[in-house]
Amino acid sequence: MTTIQPSPTDSTTPVATEDRHDGRQELLRVAIIGNPNTGKTTLFNALTGLRQRVGNFAGVTVERVEGGFKGPDGRRITVLDLPGSYSLSAGSPDEQVALEVLLHRDADRWTPDVVLVVIDAVHLERNLFLASQVLELGIPVVIALNQFDVAQDEGIAIDVPELIHELGVPIVPTVAKRGEGLDPLKRALLTAASLPAPVRKFVLPADVEDALAPLKACLVEAGLTPTAAGMESLRLLSVSRSEPHLITVPQLQAQIQDAMATLKNRGFTPNRLESEVRYAWIAGVIERTVSRPRTIKQNLSDQIDRIALHRVFGPVIFLVLMAVVFQAVFSWATPLMDGIEVLIGALGGAVGDRMADGDLKSLVVDGVFGGVGSVLVFLPQIAILFAFITLLEHSGYMARAAFLMDRIMRTVGLHGKSFIPMLSGYACAVPGVMATRTIEDPKDRLATIMVVPLMSCSARLPVYTLLIGAFVPATSLLPGLTLQGATMLGMYLLGTVAALAVAAIFKRTLLKGPVRPMILELPPYRLPSAWSLLVSVAQRCQLFLRRAGTVILALSIVLWAMATYPKSAVDDTLPAEAQQEQQLEHSVLGQIGHAIEPVVRPLGYDWKIGVSIAASFAAREVFVSTMGTIYGVGSENEAALTEKLVAETNPVTGQRVYTPLVAIGLMVFYVFALMCISTVAVTVREAGGGALGWKWATIQFGYMLVLAYVAAWIVYAGGTALGWGG
Amino acid sequence: MRSASLPTLQPADLAPRTTCALSACRAGTRATVIDIECSGDEACRLRALGLCEGTAVNIIDARDSMLLEVRGTRLALGSALTAGITVQPVSARA
Repeated sequence: MTTIQPSPTDSTTPVATEDRHDGRQELLRVAIIGNPNTGKTTLFNALTGLRQRVGNFAGVTVERVEGGFKGPDGRRITVLDLPGSYSLSAGSPDEQVALEVLLHRDADRWTPDVVLVVIDAVHLERNLFLASQVLELGIPVVIALNQFDVAQDEGIAIDVPELIHELGVPIVPTVAKRGEGLDPLKRALLTAASLPAPVRKFVLPADVEDALAPLKACLVEAGLTPTAAGMESLRLLSVSRSEPHLITVPQLQAQIQDAMATLKNRGFTPNRLESEVRYAWIAGVIERTVSRPRTIKQNLSDQIDRIALHRVFGPVIFLVLMAVVFQAVFSWATPLMDGIEVLIGALGGAVGDRMADGDLKSLVVDGVFGGVGSVLVFLPQIAILFAFITLLEHSGYMARAAFLMDRIMRTVGLHGKSFIPMLSGYACAVPGVMATRTIEDPKDRLATIMVVPLMSCSARLPVYTLLIGAFVPATSLLPGLTLQGATMLGMYLLGTVAALAVAAIFKRTLLKGPVRPMILELPPYRLPSAWSLLVSVAQRCQLFLRRAGTVILALSIVLWAMATYPKSAVDDTLPAEAQQEQQLEHSVLGQIGHAIEPVVRPLGYDWKIGVSIAASFAAREVFVSTMGTIYGVGSENEAALTEKLVAETNPVTGQRVYTPLVAIGLMVFYVFALMCISTVAVTVREAGGGALGWKWATIQFGYMLVLAYVAAWIVYAGGTALGWGG
Repeated sequence: MRSASLPTLQPADLAPRTTCALSACRAGTRATVIDIECSGDEACRLRALGLCEGTAVNIIDARDSMLLEVRGTRLALGSALTAGITVQPVSARA
């Protein structure tokens, strides 16, 4: 552990640690903490800009965002954005991580020199609870009094000098959304490290202090500073479970029980004690520093909520908003996606033109450019979806959406917040899985990640389109609805119903846990900051490109190699497409197709469909292009492919290979099967990374494959038995 | 702040103060929290959110779940929680 105490008089020999990441000198480490909805992330984005590192805290699925800014002498001030917390009482894994960092007990050994507590000036009373805990940790503290403008607008007058006096730490009013107060804040952070650490600002009754003494001593012995031990001893009275960061402290539970028994004997209620003493102190501070207007203005948020949470209009508004998001992700992204495809194709072609024909060219054009293209093409959808999600979150509507959806999602054992990721899944499972980060409960979050890929994503669309176009007649069922449209709708419904059912099963088996009752803060509506919106979207895109991109690229090259080797002698006299078909049949992938033919036989498939399924394990839409290659029509000519599929007959029996029943079975297979490397990569990451991530990704892939196989078999075998086989 | 008109005495005001479950309160009620009876985790979370014994709450909306005003913030609580919180209603608009 390195302590950094830059002294103002000693500027020639700076004590600094090497930045572990980029080797530049690090002057100061600042941890930011605050209640959710205080503008903490906006302030963090305003301080650090686009240069952020997103990862996970070691061993848990809690997101870790680190950034920095340059100090006056060019050295770097590193800022760690701790998860939004209402208290240090570790109700969620997020709060647990924050607590561990602040107590110098986190797995990464990242020790802050200064803690920046972001407080919402409008809700000072509630926010001071967390601040009062942080003040007792023995680390220098700076407080940013954010949304100061809103407080002023609402007529809340805060006597800042008096508040500084009360809390004993530097306090800087800020308006993070407009970047106001940042310079004084930076100066305060730089000087704070040399200030003495704050101490508890209230005195506990002597008989309480006395009852807590043995517990406190036990914590000091375990390595906590005396001030932090004082905070922890009070906090532990209201915590009913053992927390990982204190699990090694000997006799801790016994000490807690003893302290509680003593307190009970003296007439106190131990689990209420902390909130009682802290809120009593806060009430005094508020009385001395804050004056409110005598008549409270009619609250705008309440007026909006009267409509937004209305029993009838509320759900209607919600559905309209979701339809807009869905539509935007689908349609606004399309031209961008097409553009990216054309651009990558042109680049690949341009590079290919400068290379001699052969395997190297094929690797570069088909493997590398094809592979990278298949990743980049999702980027517009991810950017648009996250722009909407961030907008909904920062504006305050997301909490309302969770509130409205809570009852429905609860019936399958999920949380209201699971709804957004599942909806996102209709566009693409990758941002959907990433969007599960807003769900606090780790089991709810995992259950949601597990079912998001069951929502029919846009990559399934080409498969549905091809098969429906070829085998389902356009019979009109109702005005405006054909059998084709109804089949498409059916596929989407099938996936959705399955997702809800599977979530319910997971929540009752592997991810069994109590359904946590809803506790949700509905923050006031706010106009989000454009800059913060931009930073958040850029962060998501970067994360997607860096993490998923590397894995997908590697696997695309592997797949390319499997479709290319071993080389076989092809008949030169055949047309180029037929040569391709021959080559593919003898490649590793083709051999796999033949090998799995017995497995796919019961579903009514031949080796060609087998190969296409095997090839599309990386990305579903590859099914269409592989079929194009196999049937020697190329991937662009969908009409020709449709013709060939309809005409294809079994050389032995003379029967048609593709009956409508086989086609429906194949579509059902694609509804359920997780054929997408990007999703696997993102699940690994979001489910905890490393072995834990792979475990959940394997479970996800496995159950979906089994589900797909069984469902496709039921369609084919059931349909055949009923005589619909023709 | 109430309006300047003088309050009229209602028969209910003369009845002794009684406690009830938060879930039994109607929208518009103002109440003081007497006791929080739920799992330790949830009680701990509620207290951190400012909902403790002795806190005054305004019930903004009461349906399956409840919408409360607590210390100037808005909280939505599920029915499983509101059934376990005992309050003493101070005034009821209904």
